[in-house]
Amino acid sequence: MVKTILAVDDSASIRQMVTFTLKGAGYEVIQAVDGQDALDKANYHQVNLVLTDINMPRMDGLKLLELLRKLANYKNIPILILTTESGDEMKAKGRAAGATGWLVKPFDPKRLLEVIGKVIG
Amino acid sequence: MSKILSTGIKKDRSSADETRLDDTECILRNTEADEFFINIKGELNQVDRLVSDAVNNLVINFKFISKLTKSHHDMVLAIEKLAAPEGSNPILDLLEKQMVVADKIEQELEMAITSLQFGDLVTQLLAHTSNQVEMLNIELQRIDRQSSWRGGSSKKTLNRIHEEISEAVALTKNNSKRKPVVQQGMQMGDIELF
Repeated sequence: MVKTILAVDDSASIRQMVTFTLKGAGYEVIQAVDGQDALDKANYHQVNLVLTDINMPRMDGLKLLELLRKLANYKNIPILILTTESGDEMKAKGRAAGATGWLVKPFDPKRLLEVIGKVIG
Repeated sequence: MSKILSTGIKKDRSSADETRLDDTECILRNTEADEFFINIKGELNQVDRLVSDAVNNLVINFKFISKLTKSHHDMVLAIEKLAAPEGSNPILDLLEKQMVVADKIEQELEMAITSLQFGDLVTQLLAHTSNQVEMLNIELQRIDRQSSWRGGSSKKTLNRIHEEISEAVALTKNNSKRKPVVQQGMQMGDIELF
């Protein structure tokens, strides 16, 4: 069965590069432009993994993470952060909010697929 | 602030006049400073638009090349199948070379995915810089306003103004949001699983 990934980023080019990489590997991809959009889509679709940026308008990635973890069907879903931020303080916040992993941009498509494969099997 | 922006204008005045700014001049110079900072922000926005436009075009080109590469790859495979029964070695050799080329292009395209993320990094850095410029403008305008309230930039020494400007810069640095991008190049970033 095809696995679905929710890709959240306010940058259109990043969304396109992520989608291109994931679709090429056989995943279904749902795109969201910010945390609020992602939350709306997460309520509507059930996904196997969320890949989200941090710095976004309306709702940032940490808030999204926090709200998703409160939803019963997202408690155990892997949520990966894909961001330009690489500071330990931010990573600690992400970890505390329930992130599964932290990837610093720019991502390498092969490594991204390896990590995703590892966390969703 | 006013003095920095208008040292040339003040050269012809008498010493008493040199240190006294009337309200009209302050307002005019504040406007000048404001316009100057607005221009800087406008130019940063222009860079952002140009970069975004370039990235959009590059992504379109990338997708097109990628589609063509896949199609080329499939075509080579199909020709290989047709040529195989004939056992035409020269054609098979040629097709093998074509496959090597197709694989190489695919690898290069994968590497381009990493490089094409530069637009996001640039946009975030520009937004950060623009925010700092705006904060600095606010602080410098505040110094300028305070000078006029005291009824006398006249009594202020140049050193004091320099000190206040340094304080304003330090305040702007402290109040600036954390720099969102520290990357110095487009090498792949770290990965950490918790």
